[in-house]
Amino acid sequence: MKTIVKATNLSYKINEKKLFQNISFDVDAGSALHIKGGNGTGKTTLLRMILGISKPTRGSIESFAYKDVCFTGHKNALKQYLTVEDNLILLSLNTHINLDKYLTDLDLHNSLDVTVANLSFGQQKKLALLRVFLNDSDLIILDEPCVGLDSNSQQILCFFINEELKKDKCIIFSSHIQLDIEANILNLDKL
Amino acid sequence: MKIFYFEFLKLRKKSRGWIGPILVFVLIMTAFPLTVEFLNEDLDQAFFSVLWIALMLVMMLATEDIFLEDYNDGSLEQLALKNQSLALILGTKIFIYWMLIGVPISIIGSFYGFGITRSFDLGLNILPILLVTSYIFLNVFSFGNALSLTKGSVLGTLITMPLVLPLLVVLGKVVISINIGLNYFGFLVLLLGILSIIIVVIPLIISFIIRAHLE
Repeated sequence: MKTIVKATNLSYKINEKKLFQNISFDVDAGSALHIKGGNGTGKTTLLRMILGISKPTRGSIESFAYKDVCFTGHKNALKQYLTVEDNLILLSLNTHINLDKYLTDLDLHNSLDVTVANLSFGQQKKLALLRVFLNDSDLIILDEPCVGLDSNSQQILCFFINEELKKDKCIIFSSHIQLDIEANILNLDKL
Repeated sequence: MKIFYFEFLKLRKKSRGWIGPILVFVLIMTAFPLTVEFLNEDLDQAFFSVLWIALMLVMMLATEDIFLEDYNDGSLEQLALKNQSLALILGTKIFIYWMLIGVPISIIGSFYGFGITRSFDLGLNILPILLVTSYIFLNVFSFGNALSLTKGSVLGTLITMPLVLPLLVVLGKVVISINIGLNYFGFLVLLLGILSIIIVVIPLIISFIIRAHLE
């Protein structure tokens, strides 16, 4: 199986505090990695390293993804002053063939002309997740994707991730909520 | 082309971002003659000084949150992940700001030039100077804003202010040339030369600064 992300002896130190040390892992196409750990253990930092935004203090991380990485993090990257429809245009998702299906599933189909600032936190999260549901990427990285989601949306997300794994996509996520996804676990608490 | 459309859509919908600076410019240029004697023959001379300073201040104001909003909502993070050049995206963003703020202000400034000096030629002559200068100012102040992205825009703008002072000297020379009837084309070429370097170098530097901020 082709390796999509390969991390070797990763260490990260901030203000002389070691967040994690000598982490090594490979994530192959068609497999998922669940990064676990308490608050402040470096889950987001590790994800940002995989994305190439942050650099490790020591060690190396390589990504062999061909296409743009699909990522949703703590920030939704939505424009609060624009409507849902305008945001979909900005995300280049307005003409996606599966858009209507996910808008209906996530109960956003009646909110197209609503300004994002007027949506609830959960609805904004669902809108941000459309980027994931309609992705065209071989590497998907999700930082706490279930925060603010209702149980129905969580189930849709789990089903979606399992389907993506069958399509040989590589998925790396962090979550405090136990998701029904077959994934290797990297627990930063135990390092 | 998509980036161009997206940035245009964002700025068009955020009307306060571009109408505000234009209104401030109009306010300064309208208020200036009220503070001096209307029939003063030296009004023409003072007009150009006020015009350049107003242009500089308004461009400073226009770039106040050029990257801040995208930084705060996570859009910059998403842009940094794309395989596309971040410098190109940021350069496009500055260009859109120029199109929606710099160009209208240059045209309005040109009309004021015509109105105050009562010379159609002069109004027309300063238009290309205003267009090029506003674009240079936008680039330089965007650089300043990128520098102080998380520390408030004023700090970065103040740091970059000395960079535009030589430009004000050149603009002063342009006015002298126009007033004594000399060909100012050489100054325009000089400004275009500065602009051609700036539009390549500044977005590139800004992209490095923004990546550093994201890290």
